Amino acid sequence: MRLLLLEDDTTLGEGLSAFLRTEGHVVDWFTLLADVVALRDEPYDALLVDWQLPDGSGLEWIRKLRTSGVGTPIVMLTARDLLRDRIRGLDGGADDYMVKPFEPEELSARVRAVCRRQSGNAGQRLHFGDVEVDLAGRSTFRNGARVDLSSREWTVLESLINRAGRIVSKSDLEALMLGFDGEISSNAIEVYVSGIRRKLGFSVIETVRGMGYRVPQ
Amino acid sequence: MTRHPSIRQRLLNALLHVSLAWVTMATVAVWVTAHLEVDERMDDALHESAEILFGVLSFEADKLPVHGGGSLPAPPHDERLIWQLVSERSEVVLRSHRAPLDPLLRSRTEGLADAPGGWRVYGMKFPSRNMMLFVAQNEAERQEVQIESGLTMVAGAFLVGILCAVWLRRRVRQELKPLQELSLAVANYHPLEQGANLAPVSREELEPIRDAVLDLGGRLALRVDMERAFSAHAAHALRTPLAGMSAQLAAAMRESPPELQPRLQRARAASERLGRVVSALLTLFRRGVKPQLGTVDLEELVGSLSPQRLEVDVHCEHQGLLADADLLAAALLNIIDNSERHGANVLAIRGQVRDAQYVISLLDDGPGVTPAQLDRLTTALASQNYERGLGLGLMLADLVARAHHGSVCLLELTRGFGVEFSLPLSPPKMRQNLQAP
Repeated sequence: MRLLLLEDDTTLGEGLSAFLRTEGHVVDWFTLLADVVALRDEPYDALLVDWQLPDGSGLEWIRKLRTSGVGTPIVMLTARDLLRDRIRGLDGGADDYMVKPFEPEELSARVRAVCRRQSGNAGQRLHFGDVEVDLAGRSTFRNGARVDLSSREWTVLESLINRAGRIVSKSDLEALMLGFDGEISSNAIEVYVSGIRRKLGFSVIETVRGMGYRVPQ
Repeated sequence: MTRHPSIRQRLLNALLHVSLAWVTMATVAVWVTAHLEVDERMDDALHESAEILFGVLSFEADKLPVHGGGSLPAPPHDERLIWQLVSERSEVVLRSHRAPLDPLLRSRTEGLADAPGGWRVYGMKFPSRNMMLFVAQNEAERQEVQIESGLTMVAGAFLVGILCAVWLRRRVRQELKPLQELSLAVANYHPLEQGANLAPVSREELEPIRDAVLDLGGRLALRVDMERAFSAHAAHALRTPLAGMSAQLAAAMRESPPELQPRLQRARAASERLGRVVSALLTLFRRGVKPQLGTVDLEELVGSLSPQRLEVDVHCEHQGLLADADLLAAALLNIIDNSERHGANVLAIRGQVRDAQYVISLLDDGPGVTPAQLDRLTTALASQNYERGLGLGLMLADLVARAHHGSVCLLELTRGFGVEFSLPLSPPKMRQNLQAP
């Protein structure tokens, strides 16, 4: 998944980014609100937003995103633990609310959960014909036998599953996989999709000619 | 809750009792006074009447028809005062119409006397022929006059008493009304609300009370504002670095070689425990925050605390522990730390329902404390005198238990140290705290 992390504390921001990357996510970490305001059209799977930022309120930014129709799952990260703050955060547009300190594993699980809800896949395990995908375990099975995907292949598959039923363009997939810092060859997406199809068959990902790829809902 | 008696009601009751007693005493006093006074006045009147009659009869005494007990001519009338002229031989020689034929007194008594037959008599020597003049009044007549005058005065005193009592009751109500209004205003005074104030009082004596309450409220609001600011700052200043430590350690565990894993795991466990303590302390600091009650699995909770060296044997005989998991974890963590620091190797934790309470007992195999120390600690716990060497662990445990409307007690053991938490099985009806709006 491609995640946007907006956290001004460098210890936490750097630590979370490193941890989430070990989980296979692509993380774009920012410390200032000003840096992310222009990114509203980037195809993030989820936004992790601190409430109090040096140049503004993360909650206000979330409100503006929601008002302008952005439906990307958002998890709010904050030291504010009072009930009224949690209510404000959730009513302000956050899909989940995590009070610091938290365990990164729990944050990762919550991100997966809000993304599942967003994609309409409530269950942890999804079936596509003879293929089974375990989102929590980050594993895939074909006819009951485990099939190992590479990290990049998994990221492509997970990104498409999170947008199940929708067409995802090749450029969006590239952005989802690499964020802003990485570089990718021009045919990399085709290579990864091809690898997934070779391992899991053609029922999981369909190609929409001239537009992109889609996972059936 | 015990309902205390009302000052107004007590005053009104006292007033009623005093009024009744006063009216009774006044009635008795008036009655006695009236009786004596009227009696004296009637004696005086009898005396005066005798002297007037003496003067009239003496005017031409030689011409009086003093024979055969006859009477002087007079129109028909109701005679209330009678008189007799009695000869030396005690014979009635002249009398008023209704006077008896026999002399009122056989003796020649002068002045006032009571005569047989219920007469009050005044006797005077009548110079003519050495006779006696007796003027008398019937006792029944006198009593009737006494009763009538007595009753009139008593009725007057009673009426005045009742009117005074009613008036005083009204005055008491009126005078206590400002106090009542102030009491109501204080009850509805919420110093933490924006612009909270008390209406001006209308009595001089109440002004110091109003001023004191406003001053107290102002100081409380200031204190709460400062605590809120501190709490918000402390929450951010402590929670964010803790989350950062946790994230860094989690990432480091993923990236580091296996030989470093145990060290990193211990560091993560310590970070997690620190996080729990910080959360609990912040929660306790904000006095307005109620514990977030929920059903807690004690075995699971203790399992998450992961002491480094101490062997913890936890067993729950009953479920149904209702507590704030974070607060309870912080309290237990400190007790576990205490045991570990004091050289215990094994800590037995038991959860059971006893006397409508969920009791968590923690018993270690450490050196324990002396009876004198135990006594001192128990006294300090009971009086919440935390400065008397109670230590952070027991203080936190006690505060957590009290926040749950429960208690902590230390056990008398021959070996080791023992603590018992007793928490209510159902949510207590908490008082409305001074909660931040």
